[in-house]
Amino acid sequence: MSATDTGGRVSRFGSAVAEGWTRERFGLIGALVLVLVAFAPPFQVYLFTDFLVVALFALGFNLLYGYTGLLSFGHGLFYAGGAYGIAIVLRDLGPVIADVVGAGISPLVTFLVGGVVGLVLVVAVAVPVGWLSVRLEEIYFALITLAFGMLGYSLIIQDPAGLTNGTDGVIVLLGTVDLGGVSLRVGGRRIYYAISAVTVVAATYGVWRVVNSPFGTVCKAIRESPDRAVALGIDVGHHRWMTFIVSAAVVGVAGVLRAGLASVASPGLTHWSTSAIAVIATVIGGATYFYGPIVGAFIFLYIRWAISRFPALEAYWELFFGALLIAVVLFFKQGAVGGLMLIRDRLVGDDADEPSDDDARTTDGDGS
Amino acid sequence: MSLSSLVPLIGISDVVIGLSLGSRLFLIAVGLSLIFGVLGVLNFAHGGFYMLGAYVTLAVVSNVVDNFWVAAVVGALAVGVVGAAIEFSAIRRLYERADSDLDQLIVTFGFVLVIHETVRFVWGSGSYSIDPPDVFNFSVTFGGSTFNAYRLALIGLAVAVLVGLWLFITRTYFGSLVRGTSSDREMAAMLGVDVPRLYTGVFFLGSVLAGLGGALSAPLQSTSPALGDQVIIDAFIVVVIGGLGSMSGAFVGAMLIGMMQSLGPQFISAGSIAIPFLAMVIVLLIRPEGLFGGIGE
Repeated sequence: MSATDTGGRVSRFGSAVAEGWTRERFGLIGALVLVLVAFAPPFQVYLFTDFLVVALFALGFNLLYGYTGLLSFGHGLFYAGGAYGIAIVLRDLGPVIADVVGAGISPLVTFLVGGVVGLVLVVAVAVPVGWLSVRLEEIYFALITLAFGMLGYSLIIQDPAGLTNGTDGVIVLLGTVDLGGVSLRVGGRRIYYAISAVTVVAATYGVWRVVNSPFGTVCKAIRESPDRAVALGIDVGHHRWMTFIVSAAVVGVAGVLRAGLASVASPGLTHWSTSAIAVIATVIGGATYFYGPIVGAFIFLYIRWAISRFPALEAYWELFFGALLIAVVLFFKQGAVGGLMLIRDRLVGDDADEPSDDDARTTDGDGS
Repeated sequence: MSLSSLVPLIGISDVVIGLSLGSRLFLIAVGLSLIFGVLGVLNFAHGGFYMLGAYVTLAVVSNVVDNFWVAAVVGALAVGVVGAAIEFSAIRRLYERADSDLDQLIVTFGFVLVIHETVRFVWGSGSYSIDPPDVFNFSVTFGGSTFNAYRLALIGLAVAVLVGLWLFITRTYFGSLVRGTSSDREMAAMLGVDVPRLYTGVFFLGSVLAGLGGALSAPLQSTSPALGDQVIIDAFIVVVIGGLGSMSGAFVGAMLIGMMQSLGPQFISAGSIAIPFLAMVIVLLIRPEGLFGGIGE
């Protein structure tokens, strides 16, 4: 009897919480977490920055996969594009920019210029690569993006133009801003976290606007039924191409942030196994939800970190994600966000039964 | 540059090495192509199967029987059992889904990670190598260049696998069921073919071929947990160029890529490893069904 009462109280509390899950409150809690993380121990700040960068990578990837149904195994190309763009600007143009704007502020200006150059580079690559790739679908699209990614990997490794420094990659030195006695290390963990957080939040908001625009609605229509979309007079190829470019650009921004975080732009970023990280995070989080890739990236990084706390398991964290990936695709395609939605629906569903207390009890009894 | 000035650059040994690399690629790719041709599944874990075949063979040779051929058969069959188990327990659940192709790719990618980590757990991160079987473990000097006779043997074995598989598919009852199901699954099911069992059988056969490839290639490569990830990409290139689902295409594609890997660096110093990927992109754009034959050949 008393156990049932507790159950009823818990479900009432649960539904009250669920009712309060509005977008505004979510946003407020999110902002609070972002601020609080800045005061966390240095390693936690680093880990959270890492999470934000991977989240943006996966979010960009899922713009294509979740919203048009095209699975790319080559988005590492754009991740690397952003990273190499900023790394090469820092290496080759840093002194030039310092001469123009003065040494004090130049690291920050160089970082911004590098970011823009990285983004422009990624878009310049994505326009032709996307134009060619979106002619294919399903497995063939996955294969051609894989081939483009590995083509980029080969060129970066062999470095025919003498720009990418082969297998070693390009070291990223972010420098120190010095303004009237106040000096800030751009690459310092907390400063870099602040830069990353602002960039990722802005980019996420941008993606959210795209997804909820008429353009995004058309993309969803294409995902649901390409044939019907064509019948409605939608230029499917053109929409896929545009989505490809936007998706690559978002991934490029993540790549710019990755270079600064890792202090190096390395060829491994172009490798298909890096592209696969976006696939893993997105699928685990739930590809059909906007926040799926973000939640997936959180799970990916924090479970990996949790596993690394156990020396015996540390080396085998991929095993866990392989098994999780298989389980999610086989049994629960909605992923983690789908699971959270289900829990919320169940709590809110109990709320609907609230007036008839007996019914609620019966349900509780059946459940236990 | 005239042709006569180019020819001396190509030594006999380069050709033999190219063909033996191609034979290895064929053994990796043929099972992948068979499985895709019949089931429509692009098995990302195929490179992992190949690697597993090499490991099991090495383990059997050093622990159980000191006979390479017996060990290779054991390795191939063990991988076949693993493959059939994966098809039966996981991939089978996805055939009826709307976006089954991509789900299958993602699930088999999950198995890439699982196999990779399991191999690392059992055999460690180091690399193993093995001597060629005694029958072929001698040097051949031919046209002024020297190479191990096992390279020639591997070319012969690859041709034997191609011929054997072709006879099996075209001349046996099971082969006719495979061909029939591959061209029209529903019609075959209506005519009384047990399609799910046939699918498991074909997946078993494809996995055996992957394991056999890994086993037979073991004397010519160092076997490490990274092997699977390396060869699956080569296998993708080969089956795309040859034509997904085509076995003769896989052979020609494998030989082309093998020769490219062997001779390419002599003609183009920078960017030579990019050429196979460039070829893959071009074939996908111009002839997605591959250069040779269509699906199901």
